[in-house]
Amino acid sequence: MRGEASVRKFVLDFFGTILTNHSHTTDSQSSTSESGHSGASAVWANAIHHAIEHAIHFLPAQGPIAVFVHHNTLHAFEDDLFEDAVIKGLGIYHAQPYLPESQYRIEVERARITPEDLAAVIKEDLGDREHEFIFGESTRGQLRRVMLDHVIRAGDDKELQWFIAGTDALRKFRSDVPVTTERGMVDAVRHWTMRDFPAAAKNCPCPIEGFVDDLFVEFNRNQIESWTDSTWGSFTLGLLYRVCRHGAEVAGDSRASQIPSRRHRDIVFAATKYDCDQPVHELLIRFLGSFTDQGYAQWIMPHRDQGIYRCFLRMFMGKSQVTDSWMQGLIPLVREEWSHDDKPIDSIIRSLSALGIDHDSVDEYIQTALLALPGWTGMVWQLESNAAWTPQPLPKGSLLEFLAVRLLLDRSVLGYSLKMHLPEQTCKKLLNSKLSISSVSDAFGFHDRKPIYQSVQRRAMTLFQIAQLMNWSPIRLAGLQVSQWQSLMREVSAFRSLERRRIFHAAYERNYRVQALDAISQNPVPTELPSSTVPLFQLVTCIDDREESLRRHLEEVEPRVETFGAAGFFSVAMFFRAATDAHYIPLCPVVVKPQHFVDEIGQLSQQELQRRQAEARRVLGKASHQFHLSSRSMAAGTLTAIMGSIASLPMVARVLAPRLTSRAKHFASKLVRAPAATNLCIERLPQKEGSDAADAALKQGFTLDEMANIVERLLGDIGLNRFSRLVVILGHGSSSLNNPHESAYNCGACGGGRGGPNARAFALMANDLRVRQLLESRGLALPSTCFFVAGYHNTCDDGIEYLDIDRLPTSHQDDFLFAKAKLDTARALNAQERSRRFELAPLTISPEAALRHVEARSEDLAQARPEYNHATNAVCFVGRRLRTRGLFMDRRCFLTSYDPSQDDASSKVLNRILQAVIPVCSGISLEYYFSTVDNSIYGCGSKLPHNITSLLGVMEGAASDLKTGLSQQMVEIHEPLRILFVIESTKEALLSVMHRNPNIDKLIRNKWVQIAILSPESNNIQRFVDGQFVAYHPSPNVIPTVSRSYDWYRGWRNHLGFAKIINE
Amino acid sequence: MVHFLGFIVVTCPIITLAILGLMGLFGKPLDEASVDRLTKINVLLGLSASLTILGVMLWTGSRFESIEFGNFVNLNQEHFHFNIKFVFDRLSIPMTVMSFVLVGVIGSFANVYLHRDAGYQRFFIFYSMFLVGLLFAFLAGTIETLFLGWELVGLSSALLIAYFHERPAPVQNGQRVWAIYRIADASFLMAAIVMHHLSYEGEFTKITGSAAWPDGASSLEGYSALLVGGLLLFAAAGKSGLIPFSGWLPRAMEGPTPSSAVFYGALSIHLGAYLLMRISPLMDASPLLRCMVITLGVSTAIFAAFTSRVQTDVKSSLAYASVCQVGIIVAEIGCGFLYVALIHMIGHACLRSLQLLRAPTLMRDYKTLENAIGGHLSHGSLRFFGWLPQRWESRIYRFALERGYMDSAINEYLVRPFRSLFLFLDRLEQRWLRFLSGEAPKENESNTNGAA
Repeated sequence: MRGEASVRKFVLDFFGTILTNHSHTTDSQSSTSESGHSGASAVWANAIHHAIEHAIHFLPAQGPIAVFVHHNTLHAFEDDLFEDAVIKGLGIYHAQPYLPESQYRIEVERARITPEDLAAVIKEDLGDREHEFIFGESTRGQLRRVMLDHVIRAGDDKELQWFIAGTDALRKFRSDVPVTTERGMVDAVRHWTMRDFPAAAKNCPCPIEGFVDDLFVEFNRNQIESWTDSTWGSFTLGLLYRVCRHGAEVAGDSRASQIPSRRHRDIVFAATKYDCDQPVHELLIRFLGSFTDQGYAQWIMPHRDQGIYRCFLRMFMGKSQVTDSWMQGLIPLVREEWSHDDKPIDSIIRSLSALGIDHDSVDEYIQTALLALPGWTGMVWQLESNAAWTPQPLPKGSLLEFLAVRLLLDRSVLGYSLKMHLPEQTCKKLLNSKLSISSVSDAFGFHDRKPIYQSVQRRAMTLFQIAQLMNWSPIRLAGLQVSQWQSLMREVSAFRSLERRRIFHAAYERNYRVQALDAISQNPVPTELPSSTVPLFQLVTCIDDREESLRRHLEEVEPRVETFGAAGFFSVAMFFRAATDAHYIPLCPVVVKPQHFVDEIGQLSQQELQRRQAEARRVLGKASHQFHLSSRSMAAGTLTAIMGSIASLPMVARVLAPRLTSRAKHFASKLVRAPAATNLCIERLPQKEGSDAADAALKQGFTLDEMANIVERLLGDIGLNRFSRLVVILGHGSSSLNNPHESAYNCGACGGGRGGPNARAFALMANDLRVRQLLESRGLALPSTCFFVAGYHNTCDDGIEYLDIDRLPTSHQDDFLFAKAKLDTARALNAQERSRRFELAPLTISPEAALRHVEARSEDLAQARPEYNHATNAVCFVGRRLRTRGLFMDRRCFLTSYDPSQDDASSKVLNRILQAVIPVCSGISLEYYFSTVDNSIYGCGSKLPHNITSLLGVMEGAASDLKTGLSQQMVEIHEPLRILFVIESTKEALLSVMHRNPNIDKLIRNKWVQIAILSPESNNIQRFVDGQFVAYHPSPNVIPTVSRSYDWYRGWRNHLGFAKIINE
Repeated sequence: MVHFLGFIVVTCPIITLAILGLMGLFGKPLDEASVDRLTKINVLLGLSASLTILGVMLWTGSRFESIEFGNFVNLNQEHFHFNIKFVFDRLSIPMTVMSFVLVGVIGSFANVYLHRDAGYQRFFIFYSMFLVGLLFAFLAGTIETLFLGWELVGLSSALLIAYFHERPAPVQNGQRVWAIYRIADASFLMAAIVMHHLSYEGEFTKITGSAAWPDGASSLEGYSALLVGGLLLFAAAGKSGLIPFSGWLPRAMEGPTPSSAVFYGALSIHLGAYLLMRISPLMDASPLLRCMVITLGVSTAIFAAFTSRVQTDVKSSLAYASVCQVGIIVAEIGCGFLYVALIHMIGHACLRSLQLLRAPTLMRDYKTLENAIGGHLSHGSLRFFGWLPQRWESRIYRFALERGYMDSAINEYLVRPFRSLFLFLDRLEQRWLRFLSGEAPKENESNTNGAA
């Protein structure tokens, strides 16, 4: 047990920092800004600290990749409405807020978005403003609908010119204009021309007379009486286009866009296409990679203990014979900084002043400077603030030091780029003064840059197309005054692409919401079961969406079974260390701070054997680590390489036959290893003598009271009060190869760990007779015939491992074997249902073959999609399983068990359930949302070129920013939807939960999640819309009925709708 | 018999490439399953044919077989032949067998790894192009044939590096690698021309003598051996990432993991060493050449060993580890340990490509090791140069961190003069044109600048 106390202290520190960091405020920098600054520089220092503190919020919050916890990518913006936050994200990260418009139109085509959805969403969005007239009889709602239903061609001027010249857009009506509309408009124009022209044109505010005369020339007025219908059509369109063009001219454009130039780099790039960031980043990536390395490189960076700033200065002080030309300016700069011999903050002040940044723009400048390389910068902050558990965390103030380095590099590259691209005189003048952004942009001749307006032609073209679709005849348009034109143009431009995507997205979400709520409201309201019908056995799994199908299949295989869903740490929050593991890992949600340590140790009779095995493992491990290292070195590498062809045989086998190889390996290791017989030390041990004070604060194991609390709490949460003879508690996790993101596939409620030990600990507690006595005294009597068995479900290969089954009384063996058989059938079916999503598995695959297929997947080095994780998640149901039992939910629903009838008046149980469920599920849902809508910025792009670096994260290819978020292969089948919580409760209860938890309140009111409540007594559903509950009226559609899930999912790869499964 | 089998070895990959390429060209790309089947059949046929050749030659005791595909260009007056010829000997057969095995394994890996990727078809076209190039290069009996294969390998490599062409970095790096390959090619081509001048033909027998590898004796002597050998050594340095060209190898890691693994980690990188092995008799003719080869090999190995130790990302560190071993292999060739070098080369290629395939599992492997050892892994050697004065340590570290400044050196001493020369010529030409057309000369020409 040597060194254990320090390990624990370390772990506790880690959680201490996590919690303090959670509020995202930090006083870390204050330590570096000591007094001693003169007045002016103290003001500067404060401004810089403030700016950094502000910018930290916008950095990616993903820590070292070994522990991956799903979180809202835009967590920093939760104080804003979702719609506003995604637009802010567009401004700050240049990331897409929604799917592309074309994608939504595809969804319209396949009826994933229906006209009904669009109508309802427009109505909800505009409210009373929907029916306001914007021109003639046309309402705003109609205009928006037309712009959603039809693709309005837009583009830059050249594209439009080509479009006009190359197609007959000005001669023929759009093909999607109804014939009646077309005829009506043409007839009206024809009438007007023949009857009222030219008299009517005189008092028109627009020079329509000139337009008509032009057209008369074009179409030969002399033969006007023999004009065909199509000539009249072309005439009408010609007139319409000219009128629209006139309108666009007189209305002007209110919306101007300007190239933002927040940094010098933007100006240089706009003027010369030379990207100052490229050389800076190339160097920074190498430097930071080495500085933050967690133990991959064999040679530690010298001077690392002096902090980023001083380490950098020392490293780049020396002159080298050969450097890139831009670096020639860096070395004198570094030497100068070194000679100042002061704090990084002083260097930042000098840099900012050299770059001509004034007080007002400090915030913005520092924010953009830090966000230029967001992944690495964010990792510096994570290592500084949130990663005491890593081998090499960074000291406080590292981000500030990093900023100092970054600004030095920016300065030297800027100087170089100016020298290279500007005439000598201008450059000299510029370099002698302050290099402010405005002076640099003057030097490149940007001073007279005007805001860019949309061209007249473009706006005219848009209006021209809308007028056809809306049946706005040129005659009526010609009567508009300037102010009327302006308001009409405003209406059109207000519904620009971003707005259309927002509406499309709302419709996309509505469609699924309606399906889900309809399906749930059609499930019969359960009546109380007679107490005699105790289920054959009961299963408690995690709420995870991946367990939905396992539970459903089990219920189909054996209807007399009851299933429950609880957060997968089963209320056992602990630091756990397995017998073969080196470190404690926290197994509980990240928001919980565990107080207890639990060790897994070998059973007494096996300990000597296990000790010897551990020793052997240690020797083998050291040897293979040495092999690993030396294969990269010179002399030893030669030996290993010469042996290489033999060493590679197992790998070749592994690639060609992953499943067989892994089984063979497993078999071989079984021969030399005794069956693992271990015990979990969950019980509090009496204090040993001589243990130091630090140790006393830490708790080994749980007291009986604490165990009783845990058991009482979990059973209360899920409403389990009728006990079968056997209750199976199933934790879950996932194992896969060649997957740097492996931790993301594990149980979210276990903080990215595997939930087996939690299930095991819980079963031990619940089986403990002393605990049961305590529970009985509290009024919760567990029948003595009831026994708990723990298991671990691997969601990747769908294996289930049972733990501690040797402790099962002989009387319960048959019950266990029965349950195991049923679960085996269910997991094979589960594998089959999952396989329908995998194109490499045939659609006709049998359950057994599917099981083999998913087993091979988890052992396949080449498999980029071992499983689809939480992809497609869309709903979270909180309530009794009976309310959703028998519904096919396509593995898209988190299922949390909660029995409102067992809750007290203050909704204590609901409160603690939602405290965990809403942050966790919304975090998963939103991370998937953002990684899907912009996979290259919010997500980490394709997995194929990923390159693990510094044991911290992945880069794309040879060198790039650290990529955060989820990969393309993880989200490719995901539908980005904000998660819909359906909670079986009353509105009073939910409001009181919201009132008690500001974080949850914020998520709900700012629409980061959707909320609906299902009445416990009836099928009434109320949605929470804009701060109040609104009754939901189910549509009359009856969902289809099938006799088993297989009949519904077979032969289909894509998403499936809800279905009712009626076992006969 | 051997001829027929040799014919299969060479034509199978060509036919595969033709099918994949033509189907793509006509807009009817094959589906994933057919591509998979096609490449597997190709590799299996090729592999079994080359293994049979090996068996037959062992059985008959023959050490040298060649297949002629005829002279394509015949300039009798200048005594110039351009002929395609393949040889099977103790050097080319092991390399061919290894290529088929590794490329086959990677093909089967990539088929799953690239499943559903937008560039799946493209990948397999380049993949089969690479295989064709590799076989041409390994089996080449004339310098022209070798050049053909050499070029195909270079082209497909550059295209695979730029596989993710929607991002700028892969395209830039692909281009950079391509440029370095071109420099190597230029040197190679010069060597070929010199050889033709000296001997009127490109047959390797001129270099290696008529005895089977490795017992040949060069018919070139003294300075002509040094000239041809030096040019070829330069070409080999470019292709194998020896000093001063080592910078391209980590940049080649932009593509999908399997292509990085097999192509740059294992096969492409050994092509230069293979070339040196082929022309090893030249070294007997010129001791100076031998010295150059050994020096280059040893210095590359030392440099790469340092550099590899500071790399913090898996792929770059494996890339430099490869360079280090290739350096050693080159040194072995220089010392004349040809069989050792051959075994070393094959073993290294297998080991490294499979290490690269496993690279994304690093986190898991490290965790397993940590658990086995019972603590955080120690760095290999904590303070590598702890005994040196700190200033020196820091210098050497920076030298390694900046990858020996080799890219900078190429930028400064190769790219820049080259560019300015051509910009200068461009200006001259424009002035001349203006003079011809009678325009007044323009003052202050703006010089355009792109990123180097």
